[in-house]
Amino acid sequence: MRFVDEFRDPELAEVLGREIAALCEPGRHYKVMEVCGGHTHTIYRYGVQDHLPESIELVHGPGCPVCVIPMGRVDDGIAIAEQDGVILTCFGDMMRVPGGRGSFLDANARGADIRMVYSPLDALRIARANPDRQVVFYAIGFETTAPSTALTVLRAKQEGISNFSVFCNHVTIIPAIKAILDSPDLRLDAFIGPGHVSTVIGCRPYEWISRDFGMPLVCAGFEPLDLLQSVYMIMKQFTEGRAEVENQYGRVVQYDGNPVALKVLADVFALRPFFEWRGLGSIAHSALQLSPRYADFDAELRYDIPGVRVADPKACQCGEVLKGVLKPWECKVFGTACTPETPIGTCMVSSEGACAAYYNYGQYAKQRLTLEVLR
Amino acid sequence: MTSCSSEPGCITCGDVAVPLTVLAVDGPDATCADEQGRHEVIATELVGNVVPGDRLLAHAGVAIERLTGV
Ligand code: SF4
Repeated sequence: MRFVDEFRDPELAEVLGREIAALCEPGRHYKVMEVCGGHTHTIYRYGVQDHLPESIELVHGPGCPVCVIPMGRVDDGIAIAEQDGVILTCFGDMMRVPGGRGSFLDANARGADIRMVYSPLDALRIARANPDRQVVFYAIGFETTAPSTALTVLRAKQEGISNFSVFCNHVTIIPAIKAILDSPDLRLDAFIGPGHVSTVIGCRPYEWISRDFGMPLVCAGFEPLDLLQSVYMIMKQFTEGRAEVENQYGRVVQYDGNPVALKVLADVFALRPFFEWRGLGSIAHSALQLSPRYADFDAELRYDIPGVRVADPKACQCGEVLKGVLKPWECKVFGTACTPETPIGTCMVSSEGACAAYYNYGQYAKQRLTLEVLR
Repeated sequence: MTSCSSEPGCITCGDVAVPLTVLAVDGPDATCADEQGRHEVIATELVGNVVPGDRLLAHAGVAIERLTGV
């Protein structure tokens, strides 16, 4: 447990909190976005915000891979699953994401065969075990996850497995950060960079953020003290008048990333001209598709899919939550019509979604109370 | 049930990965143990040759990095 205990020490958290507070300029408000859903989860789970002075506000970003899948892509998955002989496989949280025609769980209730897997390699195992069926992996995730899909495609090709294909929804983090920085309704001061995405892509791809926008970015680990230390490093940059990319998570992240993983990604995938993100709209060059070299494994070429854009439900304010403009509890349906059991929006589905994280760790009760008193 | 509500957030699909120790190597795969002693088979092509005792960071069944000093 050594790995974890050192990074959850409450006394150290107190000390760090005090040091951070001492670095704050009086009267200044700091907005720091954690891009990654894993960080959002840690922040709510361990009450990281409680250790920070009021002048530092953590703003949640779009880095929950389940949350950014638009409804139309869910419907596309269901359309594939409804074809004769198909087994659709996906990660657990994806099963509950609502599309225009319900979720994958609803599709199963109507007779589809959609199975949860922990790895795309499990989907390949299912394909080997069911040579008379077609097995499709519904791929989601950022650069952390894309290498596992890529490796699976390479193994499928090597073994000549012809009843396996991938419906690719992998997205890339940099264009999403660009879209947020271009958004007129949000003013940010700094970023906490996604630790495990950075394991793959390294820290270099963020350098333009410091250079062009004068904003510090610190790649961070996932324990509460990792996050506090990252905020400390950001505040230190402010007091010293620097804006740089720094790596707090050196025990895992190499500044240049994982070159083998990057090579495999470049071989197996190509950039899509456009991809629609839930809440953020269509973003250029922000998602991956299989490269023509692996067209045999591309479910989008193998199956007829509707490919229709489906508008989000009217009540859903996930877009604002994903951009950090609204806090989860500020959405009108939060905790009433929209709960983890009956999610209206995607942010309530995954444990990394800001709404689910906030709901599950109970802090919303306190916040809502405060809000009601204020009104 | 279907939700990945296990320890560090959603292991399978988020930006979350778990530290593992290699126990045995079988071609490109390695049987590894997590901090709780649970065993898992992990693909290792993306981190080069591994030997028992190596520490890896795994995500969705694939090692994405080696761990140093942890
Ligand atoms: S409460 Fe539900 S609908 Fe509102 S932003 Fe969160 S997930 Fe979306």
